[in-house]
Amino acid sequence: MKNFLLAILFIFAQTSFAFIAMDSEAPNFELTDTYGNKVSLESFKGKKVVLEWTNHGCPFVAKHYKTKNMQSTQELAKSEDVVWLSIISSAPGTQGYVTNEEANNLTTTREASPAHVLLDPTGKAGMLYNAKTTPHMYVINEEGLLKYQGAIDDAGGRGFMFKDLQEANNYVKKAIKELNQGKRVSDPITKPYGCSVKYAG
Amino acid sequence: MLTESNSMKPGDELLVGFKFTLNPGWHTYWENPGDAGEGASIKWNLPNDVKASEILWPGPERIPVEPLMTFGYEDEVVLLTKIYTSETTTIPVTLNAQVSWYTCKEICIPQEAEVSIPINLGNKTSSTSKDLLEQVLDQVPEQFNGTYRVQKLDDSYVLQGELENIDQYDSMYFFPKYYGLTNYSENQLYEINKDSFSLQIKASEIEIENKSFEGVVALNKNEEITFIEIDYPLVTNDTSQEFNILTLIVFAFLGGLILNVMPCVFPILSIKILRFVEQSRDSTYKTLQQGLLFSLGVIISFLTIAALLIALKSGGESIGWGYQLQSPVVVSLLFYLFVVLGFIFMSNIVLGSGLARLSSISLNKSDSLESFLTGVLAVIVASPCTAPFMGSAIGFALLQPSFYSILIFLGLGIGFSLPYLILSAKPSLLSFLPKPGQWMETFKQFMAFPMWASALWLLWVLSNQVNNQEVIQVLLGALLITTGLWLIEKNNSERDWVRWLMRLPFLLLFIFSLWLIPTSYSDLDESKQDQIAYTPQLLEDLRKENSLVFLNFTADWCITCKVNEAVALKTSKVRKLISDKNITYIEADWTRKDPIISSTLEQYGRTGLPLYLLFPSKGDPLILPEILTEDILLSYLTEVQ
Repeated sequence: MKNFLLAILFIFAQTSFAFIAMDSEAPNFELTDTYGNKVSLESFKGKKVVLEWTNHGCPFVAKHYKTKNMQSTQELAKSEDVVWLSIISSAPGTQGYVTNEEANNLTTTREASPAHVLLDPTGKAGMLYNAKTTPHMYVINEEGLLKYQGAIDDAGGRGFMFKDLQEANNYVKKAIKELNQGKRVSDPITKPYGCSVKYAG
Repeated sequence: MLTESNSMKPGDELLVGFKFTLNPGWHTYWENPGDAGEGASIKWNLPNDVKASEILWPGPERIPVEPLMTFGYEDEVVLLTKIYTSETTTIPVTLNAQVSWYTCKEICIPQEAEVSIPINLGNKTSSTSKDLLEQVLDQVPEQFNGTYRVQKLDDSYVLQGELENIDQYDSMYFFPKYYGLTNYSENQLYEINKDSFSLQIKASEIEIENKSFEGVVALNKNEEITFIEIDYPLVTNDTSQEFNILTLIVFAFLGGLILNVMPCVFPILSIKILRFVEQSRDSTYKTLQQGLLFSLGVIISFLTIAALLIALKSGGESIGWGYQLQSPVVVSLLFYLFVVLGFIFMSNIVLGSGLARLSSISLNKSDSLESFLTGVLAVIVASPCTAPFMGSAIGFALLQPSFYSILIFLGLGIGFSLPYLILSAKPSLLSFLPKPGQWMETFKQFMAFPMWASALWLLWVLSNQVNNQEVIQVLLGALLITTGLWLIEKNNSERDWVRWLMRLPFLLLFIFSLWLIPTSYSDLDESKQDQIAYTPQLLEDLRKENSLVFLNFTADWCITCKVNEAVALKTSKVRKLISDKNITYIEADWTRKDPIISSTLEQYGRTGLPLYLLFPSKGDPLILPEILTEDILLSYLTEVQ
């Protein structure tokens, strides 16, 4: 029985992370948006909600905004009366951390149309949803049940830089359409790809 | 970009590499980047008849980005690719590639480069980079050449394997190739013994169906790391839904019913049934009691077998149905048993034991014990007769949690004992039979022949395990036992002590015949050596060449296999098609114990035979039905590409 190792390290570091099973209730959070308003997930019951974890300094996010891929997804959401929440979980001093003013500037210059941009500098909401990458996307239905989590599209994996995002299969658009038609989301979980969320280490 | 040579000839293969030098603290990613990031990608721009392989990734290291975990490389890494040319390729040729990758610290920077390198015509000559490239090639994980298996236990995967002197390594870590297989940030538990190891890895919380447990295991020895590649097919939930537990119990039940008419079992049961039918044509308390005791004997025996198999399985033995016949000792003992049973049917011998009382056609006081023992005996003699239904049911049963295994064996036992039980409860069902009389004695004698036929078959199995001389020894043993039995039969002395004395020679002959039983395998006959024998390496080589392969898992003791071979596999039409389509036919012979074959079977969710795999030139193998006809086989063989 030599070399038998029992590891208890790291377990404590992981306890705050929680994976949310599909079709289970999306946990509530309350964050402040870039205009100083308290915004809670619960208040959107009755509407579909998209959560977008973002970090403008991340080249993956940058590419999705530069190609207007993210904006067109936001526009589709808006036209379908879906609430879009962009969440920034970068800790102060890390990449992607922004002041309210900077965040609002980004929204204007990138012609983005989220309902709210929420700041989560403690990473509490991010860890609640097990958000690992930017972008990392979640779709919640009218009853507050989680229906999709994962990548924005299937351009991930090797070759992201080459693949035209317009040609990629956009999972979030597909999920919104399928939910509107009363169908099940055909790909409810996909592998998120992008930069790591810059939590306080 | 580095190349092993600056020149080559048409048809040559060229090793090229892309070297990434990273500043301290920065890293780039492996093919599975872990929680975040992305591995490098290479987009080749080559003439049509020049092909490039996928990236050959060297083994990665763990790069934690608290609280996340990523997999990649620090300091320096070379990503290799093999370039293949054909005889018609025009050289000089320019190898042009667009490479994109990320280098990350806390933040990531995407990078892109276009590189070109001209290759001249000429013999390959070692360039200055050749040594480095070959050194890196050594770091590319190689297929693990020991035996291993992966099981999912609750929320973890357990990888167990055997490799000589594995204890030279201090620690190990598994890097999964795909998302949604294992949890990246949890620590992995490992145990390393002299020639074996086990590694426990938390499964990913995200349930994505992965067909195989694929990835790379890093074995650490001081500063050195060896990487081995693991790829173990996982039994997906789909197949267990197809084969849900109720269906399996029904199959086991039917298998049990069918066993009743198998040549090894039928004589014993039919003779026993005739006995109490003769005694009373109406249902009586007594006959019902006999039936119940018999059923109890059967079910307890099956449950004992189940418990034994489960114990062996948890002890790490790879087992399957028919497994017992891999031992020449078991085969020899069963051979003796069948010879003796045939002899008993033929004669009027009374040994005074439950077993031998089979010959007497009358009920008496010790019948309760005897009925129970008949049940046990019936299960023992049934063991070599595998009905086709039972192969898959029992094979699958053993892969199930122990509780389900027991239920399946219970189903088998109930199916097996039911006809007997029904007849004992209602003997009038057999009222169509003529009145008891001399015909019953004739019938009993006739039943010796199926017994001896079974014995003959066991002897044939044995002849493939041991050499001629040892087979003759076992035959001699059978002769001695029957001689002993004959002596007892002829001994009609009134005096007890004479009768006991006369049993002594039988006992001696019996012990001597046991001593004659061979205990280990001897060399294979030459006829067997001609065939292409299965090794994982051979299969892998053939798969790399994109050959069509037909893999037949067989054993001499597997009747279904032998029947399939006779009616389908070895017919002239099938043989012709196999040679016309250039299909490589490989036999994995499991007549003897073979851990490699056992673990391959388990990879396909089997613990029993037969199993037929047909590998197309690319992709997963087709699993053929267990019962083959020429038509079925021909249609599969015709369609495979």
